[in-house]
Amino acid sequence: MERIVTRFVATLRESGIRVSPGESLDAVQALGTCGMRSRKISRALLRLTLVKNVNDFAVFNEVFDRYFSRFQFVDPEDDLLTLMDAAILEMDGEFTYLNELKDDHDDEPGPLIKIDSEVNPEDLAELKSLTEIDPDDTDGTEMQVHMKGYREKAKKPPRPTRRYVQNPLTIELGKGNSYESSVTFTAEEQAAMQDVVSKMMLRLRKDMKRMKNNQNRGKLHVIRTIQKNYRHDMVPFQVIMRRKRREKPRLIVLCDVSFSVSHASRFMLLLLHTLHNQLLDVRSFIYNRDLAEITEMLANMPVNELMKAIDTGDIIDLDENSSFGEVFLKFKKDHLENVRGRPAFIILGDGRNNYGEANDWILDEIREKSRYMLWLTPEERETWSRGDCLMDLYGSYCDKVEVVNTVDDLSLVVEDLLRDVYANQAHPIDRKLIREAKAAETYDPADYYRRGTNSDSKPDFDPGGRSHW
Amino acid sequence: MVSMITQQTIMDLLKAEGYIADDAIGTAVFLAIRMEKPILIEGPPGVGKTGLAQALSKSLDFPMVRLQCYEGIDEGKALYDWEYGKQLLYTQLLRTQLDNYLSVSADLREAVERLSSEESLFFSENFLVQRPILRSFMSEKRSLLLIDEIDRSDDEFEALLLECLSDFQVSIPELGVITAKRKPLVLLTSNGTRMISDALRRRCLYLYIGYPELEREVTIVQATFPEICEALARQMVEFLNKARELNLRKSPSVSETLDWAQVLSIMKVNQLTPEAVAGTVGVIAKHQTDLKKITELAVQEFG
Repeated sequence: MERIVTRFVATLRESGIRVSPGESLDAVQALGTCGMRSRKISRALLRLTLVKNVNDFAVFNEVFDRYFSRFQFVDPEDDLLTLMDAAILEMDGEFTYLNELKDDHDDEPGPLIKIDSEVNPEDLAELKSLTEIDPDDTDGTEMQVHMKGYREKAKKPPRPTRRYVQNPLTIELGKGNSYESSVTFTAEEQAAMQDVVSKMMLRLRKDMKRMKNNQNRGKLHVIRTIQKNYRHDMVPFQVIMRRKRREKPRLIVLCDVSFSVSHASRFMLLLLHTLHNQLLDVRSFIYNRDLAEITEMLANMPVNELMKAIDTGDIIDLDENSSFGEVFLKFKKDHLENVRGRPAFIILGDGRNNYGEANDWILDEIREKSRYMLWLTPEERETWSRGDCLMDLYGSYCDKVEVVNTVDDLSLVVEDLLRDVYANQAHPIDRKLIREAKAAETYDPADYYRRGTNSDSKPDFDPGGRSHW
Repeated sequence: MVSMITQQTIMDLLKAEGYIADDAIGTAVFLAIRMEKPILIEGPPGVGKTGLAQALSKSLDFPMVRLQCYEGIDEGKALYDWEYGKQLLYTQLLRTQLDNYLSVSADLREAVERLSSEESLFFSENFLVQRPILRSFMSEKRSLLLIDEIDRSDDEFEALLLECLSDFQVSIPELGVITAKRKPLVLLTSNGTRMISDALRRRCLYLYIGYPELEREVTIVQATFPEICEALARQMVEFLNKARELNLRKSPSVSETLDWAQVLSIMKVNQLTPEAVAGTVGVIAKHQTDLKKITELAVQEFG
């Protein structure tokens, strides 16, 4: 039995469920105490001891069915002879099956050779020329077909400007095939995002802990000190300080959900959703031509539901072209008044205004109200002033404009931001400590340009090759 | 008695307490008792995670010790604490005795030595405040320790639990290691608001309680409110099952089903109508947007 369980555990591990040796020992012990009276109970026992996460239940069931389908549980009442017969029959079947397989193999080379002989040099030349087509020369759906083929090989993501040629036909076609397939997040992607966030939290924790320890610095809280030291005969062994009220850092995020940057904003939303409540007070907006606040929905709805709602255009109309000028105007009209606490501002978008009114004066007003302004764009610097892109103009109002292409980039940027925001609110002593710690780190300015582009190291978060958008 | 127990007897015992368990729950509890391992129960709120612990404590006659977790809980609240006040009081009251005891010694050094030889008096179990976990370990009778909503506590507290849950012992620096007299049956519940660490999961049996199947929920309603006829119970449960598929902000769970059953039985409703649902919708829906969706569903179903 031990061997069966161990093999089963090995199969589980191959399917991606983490099982520790201690757990497999538990499973053996459980089977020992309960016995294996029925398949149902054995399944329940193995599941109880081996699987420790709801999301893994489906995989477990599948593996269980696959693994134990051939080994039927033997009924003790069954005649041994019939059992033997059955076994012989099965073996027989196996042999004939193997024989058939062998025959198949014998046959196979024939037709293959025939096909080979029919290929003439012209065909080969044609094939060769196909591989030489430069993906940048083509456009439209054909281009996207190529993109699919090159996805594995491409080290660098294609430039968004080239990829999404501003041509209504391509946009329509693009929506039809590639866009719809990636509406929601799978469980693995959410788990992977959890991973990315928890790693980020670990890195941030060092700074935060220091700040929390110093949080108590302040004046002596006389009454509470007396209360606390009552047990020590009023000798103040333990001193209680007045606590300073500390708020969670506020953050306002505007995410473009139009076609051109939708993937980036989706991950941004998921990231914020995971971060929310942990250490941030986030207000999130999505925009296209229209603007809508989704803070409530993000906090209360399952992410996938929200994504579906966004994709079906329930919240804002997705068919419109994005217009930054109008969005800013609307933001000023409806929301700028009740922005409080000098939040940090993040805008995620490509800055393509579709030749509308720029309204960049509003950014100036937003800037007055905010502590920090950050613009995230998926486009490379060289295209910032090309066509209808107003990135250069808008960027001049921001504290920082970052190019993000992968989830890793995004998490790094957000981590930096959090650190900055926290440091800003920290006690002066902490601020000094942080500054010293930062100065002690060797900082190579070139890292800024290199990060995320290192092709050797695979990004941590790359389910289904989606890390490039 | 415990050695004779099987899954079926556990399910029967629970049923006698009005808790209708399915096979998975019965097996998990049986295993936990036999293997002396904690169970980690996860599931949406209101499906009877805490209720299972209460029913178990009554039916198995294990006294229940409950530890409600919250942000910032620490060992002083969960394991043990020293009773400073009592220690001070004793030293005050015993002052004369101490004087006499120490006056025998010739010099200060000897006095200190004499005093330190009696040190253990002041750090004995006499002055130890037993917090829930230690209390359940020290209980003469086998107890049931319920660590409720573990996901609300911090990572540090989770790490603190590891020793207690795997070896059933508590290390107190002044006293040494205290092992459990009778290993309690430990139940941890979590609503999944935070991921529980793998280290803790590894030490537990994992039980997921989801929304019950239709038949079981009908039985639950009938077991709790026998005055409700089966047709109504079935109608209620079917309606709520449809409501759960609506993607409400707060899906109605078993506790809401029971509340609703109670309301309906007080109002002497024999059959669900859109009006009856509209009148009692506040019991099943807990958000404004959900109210509307559920009344609409009622019109659609019974209208």
